[in-house]
Amino acid sequence: MSHHLFILSPSDTPIYNLTYSSTKPTPTTISPLSSNLPTWSTSAFAGTLTALSGASSTTQHTTGGGVRIGGGQDRHVIQMIANASLDAVEDVMRKESTMYLKSVDKFNEWTVSAFITPGNTKFVLLHEAKNDEAIKSFFLEVWELYVKTMLNPFYSNQQMIRSSTFDTRVRTSAKKYL
Amino acid sequence: MDTHVFASLAQIRVLLVPVGSISQQTFEKYASEIRTFDAIRLGDIAVESTKDERARFQPKPLSTGYLHLSFPSHPPPHSHQALALIRPSHFPLAVIGVATCSHSEALSDIISQFNGTVLDMFPPSGMYPLARNCFVFEEGSSSGISPSGQHPELTIFPEMMGNRKLHIGTLLGEICSKIFGEFGVLIQRLESPLGNEYLNASLFPSLPLLTDMPPSLDSKDALPPLPSHNSQPEISKSALSKVAPAMKRNSSLGVPTVRKRLSAIGAASSHGRLFKVMADFFLLAGRTEDALIWYTEAVQLLKSPSDSIWNASALEGMATIPILDSWSAGYGLQTSTSTGREPWSDIADKLSQATALYFKVPPPSIENHQFLSYIYCCCVLRHTSLLFAIWSAKGWGPLAFTTMLQPGPTPYLPPTLSHNESTTWANLERLSSMSGIPRATISSLLAQAHGPWLLHLGPRERIGVLEAIASTYSCLGYRRKEAYILREVLGCVLDLIVCGREEDAHTNMRSFGNNGNVGIRLNESSDGNESILKLLKHVCKVLGVNLDAIQIVDDSSDPKSQSHTDDDPDVYREPFGWPELQVGVVRESVAVAEALPDFLAVTQYALSSLKTLQEFLEPGDQYHLYTTAARAMQTARRRGVMKAVEYWSGRPVVSIALAPLPFVRLPIEKPMSALQPRSSDSNAILTGGTDPFLYNPRRMNAMQGKPLVVLNETLEFVVIIQNPYVFDLELQSLSLSTSGVPFESSSTSLIIPARSYHRVILSGKALATGSLIIRGCIVQAPGGAPREFVLPLATEEEEERIAHKRSAALCEAGRFKYSGLDGFPWERKNRLPNSGSKSSRSSSTMMFLECKVVPEQPLLRIRRTTVTHGALMLYDGEMSSIRITFENISALPIDFIRLAFDDSTITPAQQALAEGEMSVFETYETEYALIHRPVFSWAKNDSVTIAPGRKVTLTINCFGKVGCTEGTIHASYSYIHRDSSNNGEASVFHTRQISYPLMVTVYRMLESHGMDILPYPSYPMSLDNVSQSHSNLFVDDNGAWCLFSLDITNTYGAPFEVSIERVQEDVPWGEILVNVPPGSTSRLVIPLKKFLLSDEHISKPIPTLSDRQFVVDKTKLSDAEQRMQRELFWYREELFNSLRCQWREAGGTRYGNLSLRQQRLTLTMLETLRTERAGIQLTFVRSEDSSQPIEHRAGKYFPPCSELVYIRIKVTNLTKSALVFTLDMDIEPREHVIHDGILCDIPVGRLEAKENREVDVAICFLCHGRFELVASARVLDSTGSSRTGSARLIAMVNTDS
Repeated sequence: MSHHLFILSPSDTPIYNLTYSSTKPTPTTISPLSSNLPTWSTSAFAGTLTALSGASSTTQHTTGGGVRIGGGQDRHVIQMIANASLDAVEDVMRKESTMYLKSVDKFNEWTVSAFITPGNTKFVLLHEAKNDEAIKSFFLEVWELYVKTMLNPFYSNQQMIRSSTFDTRVRTSAKKYL
Repeated sequence: MDTHVFASLAQIRVLLVPVGSISQQTFEKYASEIRTFDAIRLGDIAVESTKDERARFQPKPLSTGYLHLSFPSHPPPHSHQALALIRPSHFPLAVIGVATCSHSEALSDIISQFNGTVLDMFPPSGMYPLARNCFVFEEGSSSGISPSGQHPELTIFPEMMGNRKLHIGTLLGEICSKIFGEFGVLIQRLESPLGNEYLNASLFPSLPLLTDMPPSLDSKDALPPLPSHNSQPEISKSALSKVAPAMKRNSSLGVPTVRKRLSAIGAASSHGRLFKVMADFFLLAGRTEDALIWYTEAVQLLKSPSDSIWNASALEGMATIPILDSWSAGYGLQTSTSTGREPWSDIADKLSQATALYFKVPPPSIENHQFLSYIYCCCVLRHTSLLFAIWSAKGWGPLAFTTMLQPGPTPYLPPTLSHNESTTWANLERLSSMSGIPRATISSLLAQAHGPWLLHLGPRERIGVLEAIASTYSCLGYRRKEAYILREVLGCVLDLIVCGREEDAHTNMRSFGNNGNVGIRLNESSDGNESILKLLKHVCKVLGVNLDAIQIVDDSSDPKSQSHTDDDPDVYREPFGWPELQVGVVRESVAVAEALPDFLAVTQYALSSLKTLQEFLEPGDQYHLYTTAARAMQTARRRGVMKAVEYWSGRPVVSIALAPLPFVRLPIEKPMSALQPRSSDSNAILTGGTDPFLYNPRRMNAMQGKPLVVLNETLEFVVIIQNPYVFDLELQSLSLSTSGVPFESSSTSLIIPARSYHRVILSGKALATGSLIIRGCIVQAPGGAPREFVLPLATEEEEERIAHKRSAALCEAGRFKYSGLDGFPWERKNRLPNSGSKSSRSSSTMMFLECKVVPEQPLLRIRRTTVTHGALMLYDGEMSSIRITFENISALPIDFIRLAFDDSTITPAQQALAEGEMSVFETYETEYALIHRPVFSWAKNDSVTIAPGRKVTLTINCFGKVGCTEGTIHASYSYIHRDSSNNGEASVFHTRQISYPLMVTVYRMLESHGMDILPYPSYPMSLDNVSQSHSNLFVDDNGAWCLFSLDITNTYGAPFEVSIERVQEDVPWGEILVNVPPGSTSRLVIPLKKFLLSDEHISKPIPTLSDRQFVVDKTKLSDAEQRMQRELFWYREELFNSLRCQWREAGGTRYGNLSLRQQRLTLTMLETLRTERAGIQLTFVRSEDSSQPIEHRAGKYFPPCSELVYIRIKVTNLTKSALVFTLDMDIEPREHVIHDGILCDIPVGRLEAKENREVDVAICFLCHGRFELVASARVLDSTGSSRTGSARLIAMVNTDS
């Protein structure tokens, strides 16, 4: 079961991302509708479509056109989903003052949980199974790590966090909770 | 296209098709007329009074309620035939052809065309359409078209018909009536056991063919129709709001009989599907009560043997009914019935049930996937549109119903969302709070429609579904989600385009029989490209990429007219958006534009991305985009596009500077007054141009003045351009943008290497005198429009402005007033409070590089010199000369030439002077060396003129000065006296300079040292008078002379003759000449007449040769010391003036001066040199009576012993003033002498100038021997007494006798 964490600056620029695969099994809630997908690979754009629609079976690595979107858990699609979920996050964020927005959005097979820091930095986590409490704890730990990193005057909330310490600790925390 | 209206299940689709040669405009006109009838009252429908099966679905007379029509523009694809029974509303139940006609003969054509069209659209095996009709609108015919009876499907509208609309309405009613009749027929076929078996045969059953029907049932004695009371229950008149409870009872009353009867016929299958179809037809017929009854029954039946698809479909139908009822009632359902729940919650529940059923069902076979996915998506969209309609209509009300019943064919946007500010957060939230439906709910519902199953759909449905999803997201204000879906839409559309084109290509290849490599260009249609590009831009914009960053402009646009709102490159730009996504979407955009193909768009997008995403793009991507853009632009040009892209690569020009003119060409502006002779010329060399003022505003101005350039001479400008990209950037042209005087320059094309700064030299010529302003550069990329980049000078204001901007940007950085999509960079700029006023700096406030173009100037060059190899070798103090020949190589005469010189000794001396640390004495020496002994000098000559092409030779004197290593000869020249006919007398003129640097080597070959001044020995001159004539050393009156001696060492390898001449006034000329061999030291001695300088003379301060002000004496000397110093100084000067030291190369021609200035004059030397104030002469005399003088031989006296003799001391006042003298005497050995009176302070008295007085002292030598007598005078003045003047006398007393 994989998780994708993005830390986004207020201008929607990712300043950290993490892909974490936990050992827990992925819940199989595949709709019969999405089985037996046709494999029509005709043009580069079909690949885009396949990937974006969330079809995981086909592997469409196109050669021409420079569009590099493959099937399955494509990184670009994950990012698109995370980005699109910001709509829902912002919507909720403006109405509620809680920092932790659990399962704020669902798209394809992904559930999106988010955490908003007071500085309007957003932690967006894409996950497949419901795991509210653990995710909350995870977010709180990441927040602490984030704040500690931001104490460094050489970091701003718009730069990529390149600290290896931060990365290691977030991974540890992910292992612990997710 | 399908619009996925909520109430689509209740809408009778009437397809409008153009028939014959009708223009689109005309068709749209008539079609829109027909489309106004979206709802028809049941009461308005003419009921066919047949009592057969056709009557079952006809509206009851006087029934209220409506039937709803929708008018799609396209038929569903043939493949959808499988849905014919489960979703009858999906198909056009009627087809109306719209045609125009001007004469009756064409009618048969029209009818045949109409039939052909219908046949083309609908498969012959299909059930639909149930009714077809052709409306022929008469146009342009004078004689009315006779409606011929042979075509019942044809309806003709005369042109002059007044109530055409009413007529159309009636006709539509008739058509509907016909449809209802057909419904009856259909149901009849399904009611048969065979029909029911067909109905239950598969998931998506088809209607049994007529031929399959048992003929017995079909013939004359048909199956008795269902009792009409079942179709038209009595409760239909009851109040709508109370339908639900009543209906149940009623249906349980009626239906079982049916079931029983049908089952009696022997059908093995349940009748659930049959009831559902029936209910669907009732729903379409506007008879909602009946529909509800049958739906309820159907749901009951479909549940037990789980037939979830049909069950869900029935639920969908049921959900539609309340909306229809509410709409026809014209007001919202009263919430009184269910206080706690929203009025629509029942509907929503049904729909979510249906959704769940659709989702869970395992599809039995692969071919059903398509329909199942489609129905599922439709159901989700129906659910969404329910909530969306309520949300957008601010709640449950007529507006919501209208939205839900909107017939299409275009999507309908309620007025709450169609105004300008509809997407603002406040507006959207207001809708949410008023309707009680949060947007997130709608969005999460909608997300259910999206999934991999979309791939099952046919392309058309897929686009339709995605479109619906995207537009809903858009209306909800979820722009990122919209962008996500739109990318899919684009992928879908383009897949079709690309595949379609490939198919075309294949067919064409075949048809042309082309097997070679000849490419065939098909006529590409660009219809719709615009919309695709629009979508692209929208998607990119949401992701924070502005694809319009580079505009497409007309080819001939003026480069200067463009706005210069470009950001300064060094101002910090905040990142915005998700770089990886941006790069991905940009790549996709370019690929889309390429696939279309729209070459201009390709160029625009690729270059815009390069500009805006430069820091995120990988090298490969940058290169790909660049080459793509270049290729596309070339193709576009080849195809005759007259447009061009703006210049794109940021700000390429970093700086422009005027390449300094070569020194010989540089004109220097001088005022005319400089030509007037000036009084003090010599001081410049001492001060070295240092300025006494620490801050001199005038000098500042002079330094920042405009550089001078010469008319008609080539100017060069150094332009630094940058290329931040990883590829070599090609510039088609780069030229200067100037204003002011006309400037002739050519543009260059160049390639800037990747990631580097590049230096380009642009040259040109000014064509008139005046001011030339260089505004910046005009840059043009290949295929692009030229663009001017203005480069203001880095003046203080400009620097301040940039610094201000930068700090403002830095200050803003990290502050997020607007986050997310509100913070688009291009919007943020406008939001800054004072950005408007700041950015509107006009170009008038900017300072530009400015040159002053001066008239043409002559040009001089050095033709030849007498110096070999540019090196000058001199001996120390050598005087020589060099000649320089200048040649005028211009077409103008030169009438003014001045030489100035510089050498390496000047600067250190000037520095030392400027520091002021030297004593007054040293200062004088330094200044003296600078002024009176320059290395180079020339005889100024004002009358030199050089005609064009002529030569002139000038002589320059050189002086060897130790320490000089190099020198420069500067010649300034000008053409001053032009014919001033044009504008009177100019106040300035311009000179040019030419310099001739020289290496100077000065050998130091003679060292003078040990200067000494000795008293002239008082030996008797009469000793050998012979030698006096030979030697200069012998002088008369030895008391008034002294000896000057100097040691000369020859440290060089050649002998030199050294001579010292005596050039004292009133003294005979004397010279001493010595040949100094190499390595040896010779002493030169020459007698000098002593001299005395007047008090006024020696009390003058040591002069400074410069006019320096405020020379404060650093060393605090006492008065006496100062007097002494001055005295030394003046005597030394006088000494040097009276001697002329020269050397001459032995056997050579070179000669020079030997400087004595290193020599020090000590106090003792001074004493010797200075004439004493008193002259003393000692003589021995016997007593006055004795006539025999005392023997006097060889400067010695031989007085007698023990005899009284007198010493006569003659004191002469040698000064020019009266002085009081005393005398001291000393006799050695003293004890053997007796004397008269005192020997000390013998008063002499006041002596006037040149007066003398004799004093006699009587002494007696008491023994034999040698005695020495010394007399010295003393001057008595106010300060005390000082010794001056002495004389010595040696007496030999009887030594030999």
